[in-house]
Amino acid sequence: MEHIQRQPDRVARSRSRLLDGLQRWLPKLVVAPTFVLVGVGIYAFMIWTGVLSFTSSSFLPVYEFIGFDQYAKLMANDRWLTASVNLGIFGGLFILSCLVISVLLAIFLDQKIRQEGAIRTIYLYPMALSMIVTGTVWKWVLNPSLGLEKLMHDWGWASFSFDWLVSSDMAIYTIVMAAVWQASGFVMALFLAGLRGVDSSIIRAARVDGASLPLIYGKIILPSLRPVFFSALMVLAHIAIKSFDLVMAMTAGGPGYSTDLPAVFMYTHTFTRGQMGLGSASAMLMLGAILALLVPYLYSELREKRHD
Amino acid sequence: MTDVVRTGIRPSRVAIYGVLLLAALVYLIPLFIMLVTSFKTPMDIRTGNLMALPTDWTIIGWTKAWSEACTGVDCGGIRGYFWNSFKMTVPAVLISTLLGAFNGYVLSKWKFKGSNLFFGMLLFGCFVPFQVVLLPMAATLGQLGLANTTTGLVLVHVIYGVAFTTLFFRNYYVAIPDALIKAARLDGAGFFTIFFRILLPMSTPIFMVSLIWQFTQIWNDFLFGVVFASGDSQPITVALNNLVNTSTGVKEYNVDMAAAMIAALPTLVVYIVAGKYFIRGLTAGSVKG
Amino acid sequence: MSQLELRSIRKTYSGVAEETLKGIDIDIASGEFIILVGPSGCGKSTLMNTIAGLETITDGSIVLDGKDISTMEPKDRDIAMVFQSYALYPTMSVRENIAFGLKIRGKPKEEIAQEVARVADLLQISHLLDKKPSRLSGGQQQRVAMGRALARRPRIYLFDEPLSNLDAKLRVEMRTEIKKLHQRLKTTIVYVTHDQIEAMTLADRIAVLKDGELQQLGTPKEVYNTPANLFVAGFMGSPAMSFVPVTVEQGEHGLQAEVRGNDGGTIKLPVPDYLADRVGREVILGIRPEHITQPQDQKDDQDLVTKGQFTIEVTEPTGPDVIALIQLNDTNVHCRIDPEHPVTWGETAELMFDMKKVVFFDPETEKRIAA
Ligand SMILES: Nc1ncnc2c1ncn2[C@@H]1O[C@H](COP(=O)(O)OP(=O)(O)OP(=O)(O)O)[C@@H](O)[C@H]1O
Ligand SMILES: [Mg+2]
Repeated sequence: MEHIQRQPDRVARSRSRLLDGLQRWLPKLVVAPTFVLVGVGIYAFMIWTGVLSFTSSSFLPVYEFIGFDQYAKLMANDRWLTASVNLGIFGGLFILSCLVISVLLAIFLDQKIRQEGAIRTIYLYPMALSMIVTGTVWKWVLNPSLGLEKLMHDWGWASFSFDWLVSSDMAIYTIVMAAVWQASGFVMALFLAGLRGVDSSIIRAARVDGASLPLIYGKIILPSLRPVFFSALMVLAHIAIKSFDLVMAMTAGGPGYSTDLPAVFMYTHTFTRGQMGLGSASAMLMLGAILALLVPYLYSELREKRHD
Repeated sequence: MTDVVRTGIRPSRVAIYGVLLLAALVYLIPLFIMLVTSFKTPMDIRTGNLMALPTDWTIIGWTKAWSEACTGVDCGGIRGYFWNSFKMTVPAVLISTLLGAFNGYVLSKWKFKGSNLFFGMLLFGCFVPFQVVLLPMAATLGQLGLANTTTGLVLVHVIYGVAFTTLFFRNYYVAIPDALIKAARLDGAGFFTIFFRILLPMSTPIFMVSLIWQFTQIWNDFLFGVVFASGDSQPITVALNNLVNTSTGVKEYNVDMAAAMIAALPTLVVYIVAGKYFIRGLTAGSVKG
Repeated sequence: MSQLELRSIRKTYSGVAEETLKGIDIDIASGEFIILVGPSGCGKSTLMNTIAGLETITDGSIVLDGKDISTMEPKDRDIAMVFQSYALYPTMSVRENIAFGLKIRGKPKEEIAQEVARVADLLQISHLLDKKPSRLSGGQQQRVAMGRALARRPRIYLFDEPLSNLDAKLRVEMRTEIKKLHQRLKTTIVYVTHDQIEAMTLADRIAVLKDGELQQLGTPKEVYNTPANLFVAGFMGSPAMSFVPVTVEQGEHGLQAEVRGNDGGTIKLPVPDYLADRVGREVILGIRPEHITQPQDQKDDQDLVTKGQFTIEVTEPTGPDVIALIQLNDTNVHCRIDPEHPVTWGETAELMFDMKKVVFFDPETEKRIAA
């Protein structure tokens, strides 16, 4: 890209050239702060955590390398196992319920509903709340003595009992409930937007061909929403893996450590139990889980783009 | 899509409305419970039930939550933390949005060698679980003398928010024809003139999206607050969690609920006032991140 | 007015393997109206952008009034451009749009006001000055876009398909208007279009591009009548020139070439003498619709004119003419026939071939065989 300089009066113009040069560098200068912030704050720190996960760091970072010991310890750790299983239960149920509920609501809401705007506003407001607020409310609603149970008793269902919040077997499901309550409206909005984007002439054509409404939805509309399913799945999985606030607000991982999730495990071990090495190893595994989801997703996205 | 269903009252229509209204109730009831509980007396809470209206309405829960409730060892209410959150949120939102606007402008209209790589780097940054940066960030903030300060939190939120804001602006500006930039360059406008005179006046919607998205994200954040702040610099979410989960003394659920309402109000107000942009941000933010 | 020299301009976009401009040489005289044509993707816009300074060139140089401007920033080149999409600043009023370039250059207020008034008057958009572009019709937006270019009184105007977003009627109107403007202001203009008629009517000279290479540069007449090669011949003119492979023979009265119709009958077409050294070899006959007509008595005795019977395959009435399709040596050939002279598809008709203006191409090099 070298330009052949043929200009005789270059010297005289050097000042304006300097300005032009600056102008050329401006775009790079402008993004430089972000580049540095993100380069350090995400990439360098990620590597740093990776390094720590191979050390014996406990309360303070030390750089004594012990190979994969922390990972081995993690795999043998009961609490990590519980956290991982919980993530499976929580993630699976949360994603599935959100998808089912939100697809149904989106389809229903797409039937020329009066006051659609108001209803949508109601479905979506939980997404504006902090998970801590959500957790606080649900903790109160599910309070074993004064909450739902008492309400049912007052309403005449004397034998009703609901103590999931304090049961180590069931507490994780209460977190699923609260999470679904918070996120399903938002996923519904995604699907609704997707439905609105479906070409209505396809549906008219199918109706002319005599297809029934459920068939049209099952065979034509929903399959065409595949990209929306993908991105909803992505977002929900992402929320699940990072879930921390809700657990902290509702159960703080308890009873015992029955509702631990990897994010809670990482926080507790790194910042309150002085096991930085172990905590870092768990963070790296979380990153691995996200990458395992992300790479195929990005791959399919990019491939689709190329097809356009 | 809208011409699928014809007019006329049919049983299926009734069922559809029934399901939709039931769902609306499910979404609304927790808010209702939170509100009525916050106006009850502790006595009322013990004798009544979740759905019952207060027998006598009182704002004692609210005043107590605001200025007396104990969050851990300290018993000055959540007032101070509420302002902390503002002091943290406002600058972080403004800085990250501004940076995002400039980044988006460069990444869409002034591409350079490597700018796509940079964009990919940011995009990936949207997905990284924050757990992998917590420890080094804590150490770095300590080194910089920013541990447990609002400034430190602002920095953290800017770093981890700028990827999203850049995404918003970049996608918005990509849709603006390049010819506009070319015309302005021929008219003699430079990098900043083009941004401020041509693009900025047409950016109101995306600024709204970015501001609102960042505001809710940062206001509602708990993880960074709990890890990087302590005591006096804590944001409201951390204080609320401390208040609710303090095991000392008698539980006052009216205070808990009032505090939760206070913590929720700013974002709820934003949602109600500018819900359109909120939804747009969520959808945009999710499709790409 | 200004004179522009493009000296072997080369351009390779970063990340693109193939060169987009492969050494373009054009000298544009002061006040000249140059039209660039070529198929989509051949590099017309790229060339315009390099002239304007919006894209850097990889090699070569751009010389404006004797001064090399190849590395200058667009703002220093004093060149204005009108875009296909108009690219009006949507948040500014028409007045602000026109004044923007002057304001940036720090011109005094009164001068700007005067200039805006002059341009608005010239383009008859004075009544629109306070409107936003989105409130204007396509034609009005087009005028504003031109106004913005005119206001700065730049040395060169670049028009990149300025009329292609307008409907057919408005396009003709604006075409006339641009022509008037050019004649009045004597500006140097480089203009890209896909419209044949626009090219033929507006241009002083036409530059035909293909795959980043200049195919021919000449007056509309030259390009139309003596196309440099098969590509230019096929590109200019509508309906396009037909290409028939023929073999040159020595006949009794001079050179001739035999063509076969779709019913198997053949006639001998007289061909000009300059093909003498090609006797026995194949050449490609390039024949335009107007070279094959209904028989015209006044031409009967002329040289290089002959008649023959052919089956009409399709007729397409266009109003002033009927375009009829026949086959010669298994290739489709268009004829231009007077609508008063009835021909029907499926039937045979007598057609007259005027071979004075036909052209011939070398099948190997695809270049026109010079007369
Ligand atoms: N910024 C760019 N980066 C890479 N390649 C480009 C860029 N701009 C144009 N090209 C490529 O250069 C070639 C020429 O493009 P150009 O826009 O100059 O064509 P054009 O002749 O103006 O076509 P059209 O008639 O469709 O406007 C095309 O193959 C195009 O894909
Ligand atoms: Mg073009």
